[in-house]
Amino acid sequence: MATFVEQVREMGIKQAVVTKADEVVERLTAGMNINDIRAALRGDEPRRPNPRLRPHADGFWLHIRPSFYHTGVTHIYPTFRLGWLATFMLVWETITGLILMVFYTPSPLAAYGNMWNILGNVPLGQLFRNMHRLGAEVMVLVVALHMLRTFVTGSYKKPRQFTWATGVLLLLFTIFLSFSGYLLPWDQLAYWALTVFISGGAAAPAPPIVNDTVLLVLQGGPALGADGLLRWYLLHVLLLPLLAGIFFFVHYYKVVLYGISLPPGREQVGEDTAKRVPRDERTYFTPDILTSELMWTALATLFLVAGSLWLWDAPLETHADPVVTPLHVVAPWYLSWSQGWLKLADKTLVVGFIPLLLVAFIVMPYIEVGKSRRYADRRVGLTVAMLFITLMLVSNWMGSPEFRVQSSPDREVSIQLLPEEGPGGLKGIPFEHMTPGTYSPGQVVDGNPFLTRGLELFQSAMFQQSCTLTGNTQWEACKVDVLENGTRRFSNFFTSDAMPDPVAKLEIVEVQPNLKELILHYEVTNPDTGEVSTTEWTRPRHAFSNYEEECRFLNKSCATD
Amino acid sequence: MQIKIVIGTVAFMIAMMVFGYSALREPARLERFTNAELGRSIEAGSEIFANNCATCHGVDATAQECYDAQGNQIACQGLPLNYNGLLCGDVSQRMKDMGWSGTKHDYILTTISAGRGPIMPTWANQFGGPLRPDQVQNVTNFVLNYESETLCAAPLVTYEWPELAQEFLAGPDVTLPADPARGQELFTVTYGCSACHGTVDGSAPAAIGPSLVNIETDGATRVDGQDAQQYVYHSILYPSDFIAPDCPTGPCSGPPSVMPANFGARMGDNPQDMADILAYLLGE
Ligand code: HEC
Ligand code: HEC
Ligand code: HEM
Repeated sequence: MATFVEQVREMGIKQAVVTKADEVVERLTAGMNINDIRAALRGDEPRRPNPRLRPHADGFWLHIRPSFYHTGVTHIYPTFRLGWLATFMLVWETITGLILMVFYTPSPLAAYGNMWNILGNVPLGQLFRNMHRLGAEVMVLVVALHMLRTFVTGSYKKPRQFTWATGVLLLLFTIFLSFSGYLLPWDQLAYWALTVFISGGAAAPAPPIVNDTVLLVLQGGPALGADGLLRWYLLHVLLLPLLAGIFFFVHYYKVVLYGISLPPGREQVGEDTAKRVPRDERTYFTPDILTSELMWTALATLFLVAGSLWLWDAPLETHADPVVTPLHVVAPWYLSWSQGWLKLADKTLVVGFIPLLLVAFIVMPYIEVGKSRRYADRRVGLTVAMLFITLMLVSNWMGSPEFRVQSSPDREVSIQLLPEEGPGGLKGIPFEHMTPGTYSPGQVVDGNPFLTRGLELFQSAMFQQSCTLTGNTQWEACKVDVLENGTRRFSNFFTSDAMPDPVAKLEIVEVQPNLKELILHYEVTNPDTGEVSTTEWTRPRHAFSNYEEECRFLNKSCATD
Repeated sequence: MQIKIVIGTVAFMIAMMVFGYSALREPARLERFTNAELGRSIEAGSEIFANNCATCHGVDATAQECYDAQGNQIACQGLPLNYNGLLCGDVSQRMKDMGWSGTKHDYILTTISAGRGPIMPTWANQFGGPLRPDQVQNVTNFVLNYESETLCAAPLVTYEWPELAQEFLAGPDVTLPADPARGQELFTVTYGCSACHGTVDGSAPAAIGPSLVNIETDGATRVDGQDAQQYVYHSILYPSDFIAPDCPTGPCSGPPSVMPANFGARMGDNPQDMADILAYLLGE
């Protein structure tokens, strides 16, 4: 071949550069030159031999992608793009995660401070944290939906049983990836969610020596500490991504090997025609699938960026404290069902059941060998699936904070208005509107709509936890039960443990020029003994602490507006 | 396909614009979060202070009003922290007195972390105390947050104590006769002397400093040429100048004395306190 200098001599500088550029592009794309790319983007027919197939044969990046799909699987149905979206989320989490990793040290001394540094010191740090955390939750949802769709369309059936089995493992890894990341901020939320789950795991039906060892390995000591954090960090950034990556390729290799299954109605019962694609049913990767995927990439990116900016903020509570157990420990929603089960059955039973369930999912396609993928022939299977989904949704709700165990009525009011963590009714009042003084529930403070709104919330929280024996119009009348030991118990519509005729007030005091204390006082007279019990709940509030922003995002009813 | 290219390109451009928009908001947002971190740290610190420090340093850190776990008022054993001499200026008066060359933040943080003397406990984990590093940081931020314009606008009181007790008592800042009942109150509650010395009627034994039950006679024997009044007066102002022989746990250690050296500065606000304490101790 002629050298560049010779070419310049031969055809002039301009033509020589164009030829050279063409050559470079053809090398980079492993087979397509500039004209081929332009033709593909215009939607022209390819020249023969088709240069658009060469990147699949000769290039690295596309060698795992099929060069054409059956047109029947390229529409929204049957895949709903969910497998693709799961792959996208995996890549998305890897990229945003790598960026966060730069600003994170897995040590109890540093981790929590690192989070504040990301939020308050790293440009776009909060956005990236939100994108990573939102992405993690979206990914769990997407993978679960993808599983649902492959079940519904019967795509787990022969020959795709193994694809399904690797998929179940991928679901497991996805959940563990999400959950292992949960611990890393080292705040109360993270610490206690993990502690509860690890100790749950150690209640497995196994000899104590096994359980104790598992507990020790997962916590890195008698309680979750520095070693435990390091272990979960390494799981999160190393072992689990590695496993997920490997199994993703196994999974996808099988998908390409067998082809994506056609909609069940399109083939004869018992036949698998995915790989026999007639010429007129082919949709080529370049340009159709490629442009479609690029479009979805842009749309998904837009959704995740905008969602992270405007819809949702990743929470950050106070520093993890092994000696202070929060009143209500909440599991992430995708594990909430297990909390629900714990309320129904014995711990050992539940913990023993979950691995069995996993195994059942993996072997399911090898046992359920009905030939037909058609919906009408699979009524039992589909019904079982719907029942299972219903069970999961109900258990999830039962495990959610809505269904938690009640503490005493005054505490319920307090944590609703002035929770230890995050925003709540009174916490979101702008600092300058917290005028020192003593206020009663429902009081109207002239010229201070925020405080008035806060006291309104105080009144309605009190209303749910109080009742009256004396005809006080503020509260509902008490329903009275006489217990076996002769004492009386008072209830109302909302709770079986209501305060009879409570006297409650809110006191706001200034501690330092920019620090106030909000104190809730409750005084309840026992109508049987005449004994007066008073309780108090105090939370500090600094001018800078900015709960207003949290209120807005977490959509807690706060008196911010 | 063409439409997909268009949608994709537009979506991508909007996504980049959203990025750009959020980048524009960043400086203000970063500041809000930097502030929020400090605010929440101070909030956490205020709780740590109320639970651990207020028994000695007082509910508002002025060492005036201290309560035990049962809610009974007791003598404040600690120094005031909420006053301009400690908190105002890059190098505060207290830091100069203590010869501290680091920052104010470090002065407070180090004292809290390691403790000082026989009473101020060690707080930080790494020295065997109960608080984690982040908690020590929080309570430090809380103490420093007492610094305010109003606090620092008040003049620093530096009272010139006369050399001789006689001269002081005859001076214009004292109203005679002094009030021993008030002196007792100051001794047991306000300055917390009784936390170390026990009570003068012997009802509570001395814990750290020597018992002062017989000080009106013993005092005259300690230093040649000083009567009891002059000796007690001098001992309160300059504890390290003369170390008493017997403390409850053996010979008194020092110099430097275990007794805080800043009672002179604290009483400078109201020199009458000194006169009343002298009246109480010496039974005049
Ligand atoms: C048992 C009583 C006691 C408790 C509890 C206590 N302190 Fe102290 N603190 C003292 C005494 C006494 C001193 C003076 C020490 C000295 O200079 O010898 C002191 C000194 C200090 C100083 C230095 C003041 C100065 O002017 O040099 C700071 C700051 C301080 N304490 C903060 C705290 C904090 C914060 C806590 C709670 C975490 C706390 N202290 C708990 C007794 C106490
Ligand atoms: C931290 C504990 C502590 C506190 C608080 C304290 N002292 Fe002392 N005091 C001592 C110790 C220890 C000595 C003995 C060492 C010395 O002579 O300096 C002493 C010595 C004295 C002496 C000399 C006693 C003698 O027998 O020679 C007098 C007088 C005295 N203190 C008065 C007071 C008064 C008045 C107050 C309150 C304003 C007070 N002290 C607060 C620890 C304390
Ligand atoms: C990280 C998680 C996962 C990723 C990235 C992933 C990715 C993919 C992709 C890209 C496809 C191609 C077809 C499509 O888009 O639907 C696919 C197909 C498939 N996946 Fe997954 N998947 C994951 C998890 C799962 C799970 C949890 C299951 C079920 C337990 C599963 C079962 C299947 C099956 C059976 C197919 C074949 C579908 C067919 O041929 O029609 N996958 N997967």
